[in-house]
Amino acid sequence: MQANKDSDGGWRTFVWNSEKKEFLGRTGSSWLKIFLFYVIFYGCLAGIFIGTIQALLLTLSNYKPTYQDRVAPPGLSHTPRSEKSEIAFSLSDASSYKKYTDAMTKFLKKYDDDKQTDQMKFEDCGGKCQLMPERFLKCRDTVSSTPWLIVKLNRIVNFSEGGRPPMNNSVEEFLLPKLKPNLIPIFCKNKREEDADKIGEIKFFGLGEGFPLQYYPYYGKLLHPQYLQPLVAIQFNNLTLNEELRIECKVFGENIGYSEKDRYQGRFDVKFNIAS
Amino acid sequence: MGYGRSDSYRVATTQDKDDRSPKKKKGAKDMDDLKKEVPITEHKMSIEEVCRKYQTDIVQGLTNAKAAEYLIRDGPNALTPPPTTPEWVKFCRQLFGGFSVLLWTGAILCFLAYAIQAATEDDPAGDNVSIVLTAVVVITGCFSYFQEAKSSKIMESFKNMVPQQALVIREGEKVQINAEEVVGGDLVEVKGGDRIPADIRVVSAHGCKVDNSSLTGESEPQSRSPDCTHDNPLETRNIAFFSTNCVEGTARGIVICTGDNTVMGRIATLTSGLETGKTPIAKEIEHFIHIITGVAVFLGLTFFILAIVLGYSWLEAVIFLIGIIVANVPEGLLATVTVCLTLTAKRMAKKNCLVKNLEAVETLGSTSTICSDKTGTLTQNRMTVAHMWFDNQIHEADTTEDQSGASFDKSSITWISLARVAALCNRAQFKAGQDQLPILKRDVAGDASESALLKCIELSCGSVRAMRDRNKKVAEIPFNSTNKYQLSVHETEDLNDNRYLLVMKGAPERVLECCSTILVQGKEQPLDEELKEAFQNAYMELGGLGERVLGFCHVLLPEDQYPKGFAFDTDDVNFQTKDLCFVGLMSMIDPPRAAVPDAVGKCRSAGIKVIMVTGDHPITAKAIAKGVGIISEGNETVEDIAARLNIPVSQVNPRDAKACVCHGTDLKDLSQDQMDDILRNHTEIVFARTSPQQKLIIVEGCQRLGAIVAVTGDGVNDSPALKKADIGVAMGISGSDVSKQAADMILLDDNFASIVTGVEEGRLIFDNLKKSIAYTLTSNIPEITPFLLFIIVNIPLPLGTITILCIDLGTDMVPAISLAYEAAESDIMKRQPRNPFRDKLVNERLISIAYGQIVIVCLNPHALGGFFAYFVILAENGFLPTTLVGIRLNWDDRSCNDLEDTYGQQWTYEQRKIVEFTCHTAFFVSIVVVQWADVIICKTRRNSVFQQGMRNKILIFGLFEETALAAFLSYCPGMDVALRMYPLKPSWWFCAFPYSFLIFVYDEVRKLLIRRNPGGWVERETYY
Repeated sequence: MQANKDSDGGWRTFVWNSEKKEFLGRTGSSWLKIFLFYVIFYGCLAGIFIGTIQALLLTLSNYKPTYQDRVAPPGLSHTPRSEKSEIAFSLSDASSYKKYTDAMTKFLKKYDDDKQTDQMKFEDCGGKCQLMPERFLKCRDTVSSTPWLIVKLNRIVNFSEGGRPPMNNSVEEFLLPKLKPNLIPIFCKNKREEDADKIGEIKFFGLGEGFPLQYYPYYGKLLHPQYLQPLVAIQFNNLTLNEELRIECKVFGENIGYSEKDRYQGRFDVKFNIAS
Repeated sequence: MGYGRSDSYRVATTQDKDDRSPKKKKGAKDMDDLKKEVPITEHKMSIEEVCRKYQTDIVQGLTNAKAAEYLIRDGPNALTPPPTTPEWVKFCRQLFGGFSVLLWTGAILCFLAYAIQAATEDDPAGDNVSIVLTAVVVITGCFSYFQEAKSSKIMESFKNMVPQQALVIREGEKVQINAEEVVGGDLVEVKGGDRIPADIRVVSAHGCKVDNSSLTGESEPQSRSPDCTHDNPLETRNIAFFSTNCVEGTARGIVICTGDNTVMGRIATLTSGLETGKTPIAKEIEHFIHIITGVAVFLGLTFFILAIVLGYSWLEAVIFLIGIIVANVPEGLLATVTVCLTLTAKRMAKKNCLVKNLEAVETLGSTSTICSDKTGTLTQNRMTVAHMWFDNQIHEADTTEDQSGASFDKSSITWISLARVAALCNRAQFKAGQDQLPILKRDVAGDASESALLKCIELSCGSVRAMRDRNKKVAEIPFNSTNKYQLSVHETEDLNDNRYLLVMKGAPERVLECCSTILVQGKEQPLDEELKEAFQNAYMELGGLGERVLGFCHVLLPEDQYPKGFAFDTDDVNFQTKDLCFVGLMSMIDPPRAAVPDAVGKCRSAGIKVIMVTGDHPITAKAIAKGVGIISEGNETVEDIAARLNIPVSQVNPRDAKACVCHGTDLKDLSQDQMDDILRNHTEIVFARTSPQQKLIIVEGCQRLGAIVAVTGDGVNDSPALKKADIGVAMGISGSDVSKQAADMILLDDNFASIVTGVEEGRLIFDNLKKSIAYTLTSNIPEITPFLLFIIVNIPLPLGTITILCIDLGTDMVPAISLAYEAAESDIMKRQPRNPFRDKLVNERLISIAYGQIVIVCLNPHALGGFFAYFVILAENGFLPTTLVGIRLNWDDRSCNDLEDTYGQQWTYEQRKIVEFTCHTAFFVSIVVVQWADVIICKTRRNSVFQQGMRNKILIFGLFEETALAAFLSYCPGMDVALRMYPLKPSWWFCAFPYSFLIFVYDEVRKLLIRRNPGGWVERETYY
């Protein structure tokens, strides 16, 4: 007990020692000195840090990042986003799919016709810039009855996606009819064998059933400020309801690669769970 | 007085027996009791009284029924083993002590977070962190446990001392019984070679001698007889003690104490019952753990709450909490400390200091008082002839261990006569088969003084055996305490001379009484007053040196009275024992070891007070103390001053005397304050005639004054003090097993000088541990800053939990350990011992330097280097610093697979995570790079690296190892899966170089200022 009291008193005098005019064991001038020391010390450090960061920025190009080996090959992303790779809603409950329709509306906004009228900005793509075909509008409205996905190939600066994939075993037979010049084809199918007859018809809308090559390469934000990447809308016409279905979509092309770990590189799979 | 106390003691014990259950309350009182003097009073009673007390019979012994009754009442005659802690408890203590609790919390939280994630998600991220944390805790726990496992087993060695069989007389019959069944009142018989079965009051003895060395440390055999010769039961002749040895003769006695109540039992209980305080280094580490834990918990909770306030989910907040705890705790540090101490222990073992308890390595370094036993530690533990007086002159003999000392004139005829008397009137002889050994190393059968004489004569005059063969012994009267002399009659060497030579040695005054002439320069002269005074002066002088003095005389018996073949009767002396011719004096002492005075001097210059605590007589103790420098030249005791000024002792101001010789019996009557007063006001203290309990009291007194006490000793009598001391040092050769068990350290060569080496190593390791800790802490603390920025500025996480563990347990370990090999910066033996209250292992300056860096978030070279690498990697991949701020939410969103960077590129989740983990790797590598400079900085605390040099090969190895490990972790295939570490581009290794260089320059400047301006502002604020 005695010891406790002592240490208590010690603590109090430590905070403010009126005898020596010490606050937390230091006098005013001592605090000032140590404060100045740290200000200078940290000032120097901060200065040096900022200096090195500036030096770093000087070495960077404005148009193209130094390394692109991590971002390529490009990812394939879709709107609306899945949550934990699942899209689930109930047809009878409008609120359950509202977030999906909202996400699509928001996404398609920048593709609105009126925003593409400025010829100044779209001069080099001629008429082909009409990325927003009328049919797309449908997907906004009919999402409730037949789910839609809008798919885009991720942008990579100066990356030339190839149109014609190497014609070997890796390309499945079913792709052959879809192959067109200057188009990166996209194809979706069931992920699991047993779902084969449950997914029904899948329709692709866009500038051809894939991504037209004339929109690539992308030259970066600075050179291509208003760049809009081509989209493909995928309509699932006849999904079996009340069942979990896994569907995988894949693009095929020369520079397109896939990774075991990254499920969005050149492909994605999504789980539909639509209740009636 | 003795009665009163002993009565109270007996009452206390009987009470104790009645209610054994409330042991805890009794515990403290018992210990105090045990510290008091032995309460035996039986030695002062007559034999009849003793018999009455124990209801026994002097001839018949106890009846069997009575013995059985006593056995039930008092329990078996054996020492109770101390309560032992079960092994699993010790193991758990290791597993949950220190930082472990914090890490367990982290691991459990981590596992819970994982479990929640697993329950809600399809494919949660692997739960590496909790597995790694658990592994870390378990491995370090096992490591410490096995280090600790070599714990002492004090009681077991006491057990070995219990004699197996005892000869008792019950109902008039001699029976051999198990020693455990001996009870109080039993009549026992012991003979030469036996161990005494219990404390016994001798009732009859025939030439009985006992060796009390296991109790007192002095190995001189002592005779035992039925008479009470001293008030003190330990000194009196009529008590023989449990577990001491009967060397020769026989004795019969009544058992007065058994088992734990015996003197030995009390020492054993006292030793095993002593609470040994924590070692200074353990206190330091605990202090350090408290600080770190406090800060970790505080920061963790603060940011937990902050995270909740900022709108993070519970799960995320918990993950932050774990991250901060893991970042804050230097996981590898305790293992590093253990390894450093082990390395030093090994180094000390090579220098003959065997360390039993690892933490004791450092204790010796912080020692401020050494209480040293005399016999065997400071001295050689063998009697040696030191001086001789003949021809009216004192001659000095050589006492050094290697016979390198000065010699004296051996040509005098008197010397030849003296040597002859000493050789002939001497029963000691060399044991067989040692001819090839140097004389001083040979074993001798016989008592210590006779052996000393034997060796002295053998050294200076050649074979004593031959001399004895030439002068056949015809009669002999052995030494006894009434005569106080020993004489023998021999034939002469000269075959034509038929006279007998009578030689005598003994207490000088007794021998002188028998003499009427004295031999001077070979001529007999009448012993006049002048010569008598010369004798007295010499006797006083030698006695004053603390030496044991013997007088020698001889006479050639006239042939007419004692013709050849005269039957000398030694029982009824029928020959001349008067009018002999005095030859000379020889004095013996157990001389100090050669290296001791130097070692004591070194201790003194290192600010360590050396106190001598011995069971020997004050005069001898003082003489040895002066000889080895414990009482330095020119320093006087109160008695010396009184003698010099010729005034009574009471008039001397005790403050004038720096030295002090304190007698054990005085010590008994001192109050605690008086004791403190002695210890505080005298720099040079000798305690003589001390009992084991008093040794303990002395140690406690020193500790009460704030000293860190080392005790050296070899006997069982020293073991309570050894145990109580902050560090007990036992003697490897002469030490008893019990003392070795009670000690923390063992001097393999019994040499006090080895302690000095130990002190040096201990101080060095303390300095080097400071460096190791500074090194570890300066890299550890910055590990928090990435989390802080992650939470506050919303940037992707710069440093992951796994990478933090890689730093703490991987790359930092070897360099931190290598600092233990660092050489001393200055002469560490020239400075004062550290003050345990002020000189902390981790002082507030180190803490403030380490934590000061968090206050102004992340602004320290380690973190800056890491952050720079982080920004470089992200920028070169497309995310410029400006884009990063606030990106965290989208960055960590799994469903966002088109996150835009500064250039407009879109990243999938997995792609940007790989970049993030590459950043972690780079941050980790940057810390390693800055640690290169840090370890070089931490090599010295004051000197420049250019002064100190890079001679520490282990440190250089550590640098390479650290780098190689970092490269391995980054480039080894499979690391991306196992630890999520990715290969770095070569240029990213160089990001931290400017920072590495920067802290090196900063610290060199800081040290320069400290050296230029000792005690200045820079030193006060930044010297750790």
